[in-house]
Amino acid sequence: MPPANSAQTALDMLVLTILSRRGPSHGYGIANAIQDLSKDALRIDEGSLYPALHRMEEAGWIAAEWTVTENKRRARLYHLSKAGATQLEAERERWTVFSGAVARVLRYA
Amino acid sequence: MSWFTRLRNSVLPQRMDNDLLEEIRDHIDRRESDLRASGLSEYEARRQAVLAFGSVANVRAESRATKLWANCEGTIQDTRYAWRGLVRNPAFTITAVLSLGLAIGANAAIYALVDAVVLRPLPVPSPDRLFTLEVRGQTPSGSPTSSENAAFSFPLYTALNSAADGSARIALFGSPSRVDVQGSDAEAAPDAALQQFVSVTAFDVIGVAPEVGQFFSTAEDQATSPRAVVILSYDFWRRRYGADSAVVGKPLVFGGKRHEIIGVARAGFTGVEAGKYIDVWLPITLADPGLLAQPEARAFQLLGRLSHGITREYLSARLQPVFRQHQVERSATKTATEKRELITTSLEALPGANGLASFRRTWLLPLMTLLGIAVGVLLIACSNVASLLLARASARSSEIALRAALGAGRTRLVRQILLESVLVAVLATSLGWLTSRVLAPMLVSLTSSQGDPIRLNLSSDARVLLFCAGICALAAFMSGALPAWRATGVHQTSMRSYMYEHAGRLRLGRTVVGAQVAFAFCLVVWGAGFALSLRTLTSVDAGFDATGVVVMTVANDLGPQQRALQLSLMQQLQARSASLPGSQAAATAWMPMFSGGRRAERVVLPGRAPSARGETFYRVSPGFLATLHTPLLSGRDLLATDDDTEPVATIVNRTFAVRYFGTESAIGREFQRVDGARHRIVGISGDARFEDLKGGAEAIAYMPMKPPRWFTMYVRSTRDAASVAQMVQREARALGSGLRVTGVTTVSELVDSTMRRERLLAGIGGVFAFLGLVLAAIGLFGLFSYSVARRTKELGIRSALGAARMNLLRLIFKDEMVVIAGGLVAGLAVAFSFVRVVRSLLFGTQLADPAVIATALGVFVAAAMIACVIPALRATTIDPILALRRES
Repeated sequence: MPPANSAQTALDMLVLTILSRRGPSHGYGIANAIQDLSKDALRIDEGSLYPALHRMEEAGWIAAEWTVTENKRRARLYHLSKAGATQLEAERERWTVFSGAVARVLRYA
Repeated sequence: MSWFTRLRNSVLPQRMDNDLLEEIRDHIDRRESDLRASGLSEYEARRQAVLAFGSVANVRAESRATKLWANCEGTIQDTRYAWRGLVRNPAFTITAVLSLGLAIGANAAIYALVDAVVLRPLPVPSPDRLFTLEVRGQTPSGSPTSSENAAFSFPLYTALNSAADGSARIALFGSPSRVDVQGSDAEAAPDAALQQFVSVTAFDVIGVAPEVGQFFSTAEDQATSPRAVVILSYDFWRRRYGADSAVVGKPLVFGGKRHEIIGVARAGFTGVEAGKYIDVWLPITLADPGLLAQPEARAFQLLGRLSHGITREYLSARLQPVFRQHQVERSATKTATEKRELITTSLEALPGANGLASFRRTWLLPLMTLLGIAVGVLLIACSNVASLLLARASARSSEIALRAALGAGRTRLVRQILLESVLVAVLATSLGWLTSRVLAPMLVSLTSSQGDPIRLNLSSDARVLLFCAGICALAAFMSGALPAWRATGVHQTSMRSYMYEHAGRLRLGRTVVGAQVAFAFCLVVWGAGFALSLRTLTSVDAGFDATGVVVMTVANDLGPQQRALQLSLMQQLQARSASLPGSQAAATAWMPMFSGGRRAERVVLPGRAPSARGETFYRVSPGFLATLHTPLLSGRDLLATDDDTEPVATIVNRTFAVRYFGTESAIGREFQRVDGARHRIVGISGDARFEDLKGGAEAIAYMPMKPPRWFTMYVRSTRDAASVAQMVQREARALGSGLRVTGVTTVSELVDSTMRRERLLAGIGGVFAFLGLVLAAIGLFGLFSYSVARRTKELGIRSALGAARMNLLRLIFKDEMVVIAGGLVAGLAVAFSFVRVVRSLLFGTQLADPAVIATALGVFVAAAMIACVIPALRATTIDPILALRRES
């Protein structure tokens, strides 16, 4: 388990959140969503998303299956699993606590 | 993801990889089509999509790593690779596996013996609560063997057992002896069996349950005329009765007595001493009552079980007063010195989980020494494989450098090279395991003889398997770690500095070979020591001519009241045996010589205290000395009319005469035994050995035969033992009265049986030393060939400039001689640092003996020369032109 506030955890949170709000999506969709939502502020190598997806799949937070999409191409669709939802909840809470603490320090220090 | 998927991914990574690639391709395609939709050209869209994605290879590698089962795939891949490498180099593989396999086999075989003799606990519940009793501080007169410390008399046993009371229970065991057993059918051929007297509660105490029937009941103890009952071992029960439960109640005849079988001991229990598989157990109540009443008859060993919560220390302390009391009572009739000796002794309870220790005591040190030698051989073999791997690794240095340049981590590279040695080690261990299964029984048979069979439970238990696994890991590490470290360590430099690499390899090779030389020389020194001590032992003048003398044990069914008939039968059989075809002479005597038994008596000269040591008194018939070719120096032989009427006509040997009369002409002189019987010396014989060949000269008094129930017949014949025995058996049967031959051996075999330890050490030690020598020679040969090959060009130039051949040779040898000399010195140092351990195993020889060192050095230098001269000669006969043209 990576430290609570590492970049890896942040990426995990983004992916889990996107999957939980927008429903099942393929890797490309997730990458686009991250870029759109963060207004290109979180620019990552698109490729580096995949190891993260596979790691989360490994951890059991998300599951994947091959589907045939509208234009007859094979795509791997990821969706949030039950464990992933729990994980997201826990992470979000930790994030709130953490960012709240940082915000307090910034404001009152 | 399930573990199954991961395993599948590991074993068949292809499919997972394809999925991964397809996913990546899908992503890039989508990005490309989106970019084209925004108006980019086909080429530009593709370019930007690929750029945005980043390194496909990295993503692949990273994802693979997550999706695989703990590096499993990498390992499997590397194993496959290493396997292919081994298959491609059969010469290397065969050499490595064979040399390592033999060394591992030797280790496993000896360890199996060590395990069976020393480590295996008795198959009884909680063996850790068992203990044995021993006497400390005793210096017994006569031969001071440590096993005497564990010998107790029956009265002392009874006293100790009742003193232990609630804190422990003690069982008593007699020494195993061979008997011929027969069923109720007297005509059926008798079976040889090993019998042992045990206390009535013995099985109960050590915790063995009956398989069938029951064990001795305590009623046996009280009965005035004890029932003749017997318990069979499981093994004997299966062998003789085919595991028939109806055996209980059947009779078993041996020792001229009918015994009723009352039970069979549980499977797996073969006795309380390693090496001896007991066939039948008898209750101590059946033993000779005279023996049991004698506090001096220390013929039994004790094994007990502690009660819960009692420590051995507590028990020793608790038994001490009773023991002290017993010793004081015993010392009443002793001389002052003996009295002091007896009173200063104390009793100690030792761990008894492995049972009685006498067999263990004899073989522990030789076995451990052999194990040490075997480990030495293994180390030599390991360094050979290491230098082979080193050579391979340096041949592959460019490949390794390339892999490193492509981003392979050092751990991965090390793992890959280590895997090769692991594979070799695993193959070698399998080979070694098979070898040891054959070798271990051979080792046992080397120490066993017909008269004193040794059987060991060599089945592999967890400890043996663990040992093999450990040896395998050691071999893999010892042979692989250095090459792996070295090969991957220089990868940056090796590409640009080829020469540096070779110099380094040579230096490392020299170190490895130097160590090898040291080990091998150490082994050769030991081997030479053992071989020379066996030679010294076999060349000891035993005082008789052993070749062609058959030894038979003859029994009859007559009781003690028929002594006259027994004597006449014995004399008739002797006369008939002497006149058999091929027979030259025949004689009878009591127990056979070199059989471990002897009658020791102190000698009392008129007006003097009894002698400190007990001398051997041996009852023999007329013609005994002549039969064994022991010279009669003066006086006469015993006569058929000589008997026990005092003064008893006696022949003493020269040592006896000189020791007690200070002269070799003691004829007519008299002496007494401690029991008062008078002897008159009628003849002086040459010195001859009776107990063993290792001690000094033995003093022996030969006195006339008194016919016992069984006696020993010596026949000197030109025929072989079996046919002589057959002829004597025919004569015996013709004489009747149950006269029969029960055991056959030869004097040579009897003498040999006292040299088993030396034979084992010289045989196995010698073989191992030779193995080590050959392996070290191979190592030297490899090193020399390599260093010569590397200097081919230089030698060519020197030769072209006119260097003489001798000078070239000197040049080549100069470097390598340092290696050999260093190794020799180190080896000698190692050999001597263990001198204390092996000293007691040597006879008439010492490691520091010039003969030993010279022999070892001679053997070693010869082997080294053979290994070095071939490459050296090749080097000096190089054609300068060819050498200069060669690229190197």
